[in-house]
Amino acid sequence: MSKVRAKEYQGRIDHALATPKLQDALHKFGDAFLLAREKAFSQYDFEALRQEIADCKDEVAAHRQQYLEQFITNAEAAGATVYLAKTAADANQYIAELARTKGVKLVTKSKSMASEETHLNQALESAGVEALETDLGEWIIQLAGQRPSHMVMPAIHMFKEEVAELFSKVTGAEEPAEIAHLVQVAREQLRQGYLDADMGITGANVAVAETGGIALVTNEGNARLVSTLPKIHVALLGVEKIVPTLEDAATIIRTLPKNATGQLLTSYVTWIRGAVPCGDGDKELHLVLLDNGRSALAESPQCRDALRCIKCGACANVCPVYQTVGGHVFGHVYIGAIGIILTAFFHGLDKAAEIVRACIGCRACVTVCPSNIDLEHIILSLRETIGHEEGIGLGKSIVFRKVMRNRKLFHSLIRAASLLQKPVTGGNRTIRHLPLFFSSLTEWRTLPAVAEKSLRDQWTKIPQKVEKPRYKVALFGGCANDFLYPELGIDLIKVMNKLDVEVSYPLDQNCCGVPALYSGDKETAVALAEQNIAAMLKDDPDFVLTTCPTCTMALQRDFVEFLKDNPVWADKAKHLAEITVDAAGFIVNQLGAAEVFKGLSAAEKVTYHDSCHLKRGAGVWKEPRELLTTSGRELVEMDHADRCCGFGGSYSLTSHPDISKQILGDKIKDIEKSGASCVAMDCPGCMLQLRGGLEKQEVDVRAMHTIQLLAESLE
Amino acid sequence: MQQEGLITTFSDAARAVGAKVADVDAVDAVVDYVKKLAKGAVMVPDFATAKRLDLTAALKTAGISLVENDLRQGAATAAVGLTGANFAFAATGTVVLESTSEDIRLATTLPEHHVVLLDPAKILEDDLAAVPHLRTFHQNSPRNYLAYITGPSRTADIERVLTIGVHGPKQLHILLYSGLSDDPLEM
Repeated sequence: MSKVRAKEYQGRIDHALATPKLQDALHKFGDAFLLAREKAFSQYDFEALRQEIADCKDEVAAHRQQYLEQFITNAEAAGATVYLAKTAADANQYIAELARTKGVKLVTKSKSMASEETHLNQALESAGVEALETDLGEWIIQLAGQRPSHMVMPAIHMFKEEVAELFSKVTGAEEPAEIAHLVQVAREQLRQGYLDADMGITGANVAVAETGGIALVTNEGNARLVSTLPKIHVALLGVEKIVPTLEDAATIIRTLPKNATGQLLTSYVTWIRGAVPCGDGDKELHLVLLDNGRSALAESPQCRDALRCIKCGACANVCPVYQTVGGHVFGHVYIGAIGIILTAFFHGLDKAAEIVRACIGCRACVTVCPSNIDLEHIILSLRETIGHEEGIGLGKSIVFRKVMRNRKLFHSLIRAASLLQKPVTGGNRTIRHLPLFFSSLTEWRTLPAVAEKSLRDQWTKIPQKVEKPRYKVALFGGCANDFLYPELGIDLIKVMNKLDVEVSYPLDQNCCGVPALYSGDKETAVALAEQNIAAMLKDDPDFVLTTCPTCTMALQRDFVEFLKDNPVWADKAKHLAEITVDAAGFIVNQLGAAEVFKGLSAAEKVTYHDSCHLKRGAGVWKEPRELLTTSGRELVEMDHADRCCGFGGSYSLTSHPDISKQILGDKIKDIEKSGASCVAMDCPGCMLQLRGGLEKQEVDVRAMHTIQLLAESLE
Repeated sequence: MQQEGLITTFSDAARAVGAKVADVDAVDAVVDYVKKLAKGAVMVPDFATAKRLDLTAALKTAGISLVENDLRQGAATAAVGLTGANFAFAATGTVVLESTSEDIRLATTLPEHHVVLLDPAKILEDDLAAVPHLRTFHQNSPRNYLAYITGPSRTADIERVLTIGVHGPKQLHILLYSGLSDDPLEM
């Protein structure tokens, strides 16, 4: 790991966190975006559309050469010149050379992320050609000498006062910071550029193999001017923009604006094929098809789905990390979740090394992706690759490889910790302050103490009263339930026994492996998967229950994937996945037993926090709400109930505690605003984070697991 | 959907994105509309229905000055670009213009106002219904510049505040004129 690189990165984080105005703007934008998007899709089936786009893009990826050739043949037949650029440098050189031989002095550009990717403007400048950005946002950042912080709204990080200052320098007059006025200034200043330029450069949103044409999806009208007035039109586009037919293109174009800006359609969709008339003759059209890592991406089984991306930017809009630090931290040229992946392939793994760890894994992006890309999953696999390339750090390496894989050693060390922590806990269940260099860990939230007696160490002494068990289930406790919150396991027994379910606790179970996986140590995660499968299936339980949704995802998804090609474990992993279910979902869906708790609770005002991996991993979010309301509690929804709490395991402890703290702060504000006296959730990780934050801020709201609240109802 | 329904959907959707939609029933009404709007020269590129209506003559008779020579420079100073539309689709309030002729592009990109004549019989349901016509255009000519236009030019690039009229037309006027043409391949 490069220390200089890490230090620069931390500097960018610190700078972003010291700009609350930016955070405020990105939060408001995220809220407004979701509303507009929902409205735009109200008459459409988003799930069907995104599956269509995914299928179409997969088809093209599977037959890349065939569609590429078809596109090129048709484009050339229509009079276009096609150049295949293997690298960014190739593309830049071709365009700069073209400009030189044609005597081009001025180029007008409409927005093209591909040209940002290749740093085309610098290449043109070095060749003595002036490049004028005409998209308003792009022009602003060109004047500011910055790079885009968003794929659709490049200058989203800037404020009108800054824009007015930049424009004043151009006009030499004092331009007032009024948005309508500034837009008019841009109109007037850039107008002559279209007429004077000898070359226009655009990107493309789609390229159609059937026709050999491209389509541009725009709002401002500058791309139409750029592609009309200058004699030469160069379109720079990634090869992944190719789709087979006009119908495919139409599907992407009907989806893109809705998912990007919440518009039903942009002001302009422009379909261009071949050398169209220009002045007295024909236009010279050059299509520069950019590979620059795309073929390598297409060859990567773990990451190739990222090539489906249609560059809508939605993954950033909904991302709590993006909303906290913006695209100049959480991105390189491409930003947000997709930016992490594209950066790794287009700009190099080292450029992605920091941001690949900045993803908190909340999966908010996955639900809004119009191409059905499991972004979080791909980012995890990249983290593993970087772990291989750069190492995961000596400390983690020892913990995961030497300690965690050896369950007995791991668990005896935790037991030792419960004794060693006495000086800081003073015998209390929460740690409010830590000494010396650990102090920052408890600055913004308290931490739970390791329980004096873990769940596994007291299990056999917990009485179970089930005469004729309806089911025999095994609890997969996970580390938090086992060692931090054993009382949660005891409550689970109480609730399950009431429902005639007997619970066992296989003692050979170990950590689910997610902490290792998230840190890039897949080898340890696989070793733990095998240990856990053996432990959980040993007594052939009817179901395996979980109280932690991150563990649930490991058992339901990761184990199966790790071991799918392993003849010894594949079937067992699949079986475990099939019988694993989270506790609240089990009560409602498998037992149909919500009614058992009817009216047993006092009418406490409760708000519910959706844990990322429960809602967006296991698809469970209605069930706990049903249990809470049926039990007699008054459920009041907080704003952003399904927004991440900022925990993310080691994310909040070691990798990005300052971002975690900010995201927690947002959540606590929403909880307080709801007016509830209790926030319920179904994840011990969220509980650690929320309880810790609420305690530290002295907010009088208790943070409880749904299972604990059900156990209370039975008292 | 019946055509009446499509016309209503189209008009609502177009207005929702800031276009003005009006009914006209004769050339005189078109001329009146343009005359009220135009604070300068009007650019009328060649298109089939303009010829049939003898639109330029009618505009001249009404005393409206037209951009006729050096269209590139003229379009940049014109107040109004007046064109037809090949067809439209209702769901998003979009007009479709076969713009391969450069004059059509100049008239629809540079002037501050763009006035479109559309026969309401040529309003289709949505973008998918438009694809077969798109394909025909591609089959009929080896080179194409086809434009979907939905409302006036817009941006939200400064503080995400929607602002109308950045580089393209600041206003889009759609005049529904029955009996102009029922051929979606003709403007």
